[in-house]
Amino acid sequence: MIYLDSAATTFQKPRTVASAMQEALMTMSSPGRGGHPAAMRAAETAFQCRSELAELFGLENPEQVVFTSNATHGLNIAIKSLVPPGGRVVVSGYEHNAVTRPLTALGARIAVAEAPLFDSDAVTAAFDRLIVPGTSAVVCNYVSNVFGFIQPVEQIAAICRARRVPFIIDASQSAGVLPLDMKRLGAAFAAMPGHKGLYGPQGTGVLLCGDGGTARPLLEGGTGSLSIQQEMPDFLPDRLEAGTHNMPGIAGLLAGVRYVRQRGLRDICDRERRLALLAAEGLRTLPGVQVFALPGLRDQAGVLSVVPKNRDVEAVGDALAEQGIAVRTGLHCAPLAHRSAGTLDTGTIRLSFSDFNTPEEVYRTLTVLRDLLG
Amino acid sequence: MEYYLILARSVTYAQRMQRTLGRTGIRSQIFRAPRDLTDLGCAYAVRVAVNDLSKALIALHRESLDPIQVFLFQSGAYREVGA
Repeated sequence: MIYLDSAATTFQKPRTVASAMQEALMTMSSPGRGGHPAAMRAAETAFQCRSELAELFGLENPEQVVFTSNATHGLNIAIKSLVPPGGRVVVSGYEHNAVTRPLTALGARIAVAEAPLFDSDAVTAAFDRLIVPGTSAVVCNYVSNVFGFIQPVEQIAAICRARRVPFIIDASQSAGVLPLDMKRLGAAFAAMPGHKGLYGPQGTGVLLCGDGGTARPLLEGGTGSLSIQQEMPDFLPDRLEAGTHNMPGIAGLLAGVRYVRQRGLRDICDRERRLALLAAEGLRTLPGVQVFALPGLRDQAGVLSVVPKNRDVEAVGDALAEQGIAVRTGLHCAPLAHRSAGTLDTGTIRLSFSDFNTPEEVYRTLTVLRDLLG
Repeated sequence: MEYYLILARSVTYAQRMQRTLGRTGIRSQIFRAPRDLTDLGCAYAVRVAVNDLSKALIALHRESLDPIQVFLFQSGAYREVGA
């Protein structure tokens, strides 16, 4: 199979991920739930994973790294900690339902910082206009899951800092690909999955907690600490981690994070962008295919959307699957992004790359698409 | 055998304490805190040698890792010596 759906989940993982998960299953119980060797091995692995993630994302202390089950889980915690019912929130025009649905459920007044695709200056200007007194929070993804658009989070963070508005970053597509320094940005929270660019298994995620934010738990329950007390602990990570941890997942995530750190963000990003650029250039030569990319893939990560004229994207996706090529089609759970780019009616075919893809896979995909669409 | 138990608020904090002490050259071990030492319920503690306590507390304070309580184990019993 040629797997080009890494913006959903990276399918090919470093071999160390599966072996770490197997070892965890065989040797670890649960952190904070005993002093015996199985519990302490679990505690050591969880602590190590927190520590390495804290280093990777510029956090001072490992307890600021909270394990979640995915990015959606983390975003829900962040949003529900900061946004009161009916509160005013500014979001980009490229947000995922993981952001817009919790905000809708809260009855939030959502102001969309509308801007054309791949126009970072326009995004910054729109946030600048909309972040006004009375704004409860700002939420923005670092990279659009549909178009790979790298949004100007540094500039948005600077506006938020200046106006003392908490900033939530959806780092789902950027984690493991682009640098993110929580301390420098001064962000309140950043949420990310473990199973995409960090190469961990499905069912893992991370919420990075910046300084000063008061986090509200989504779940209450056992934490292995302050057990007499009936309120959740007021300290991290326990405050946000009720119930038994996913230790095989955390062990696998640690192995994935180590792979990313060893490879280096820049090398991984360069590889993915080179593949996306190769695909974009090839797709541009196909008649009737609209390719969403600027020359040189400016302001874009290794995620590429295309729309074939007069062809249903789902039918093309099915035909590719029959040829052993896995892509994602449709709205990618991000109708707001499609509305912003004008693709809400058609959806798109999305090709997304990981560190394990090759140029040969891109050539093969282009050959099959040429036959299908030519 | 005498030693000190430094009570932490969670296993993660106990681990941070152990790492901080290690960087200062102090050997320590993490244990579940004996049940009758605390009214908090489940807790973890870091055990250090008697001679290391002052240095340990200074190192922990520098990292904002002040203990909840400190106990001296002596003659088979624990005695609280401060926080």
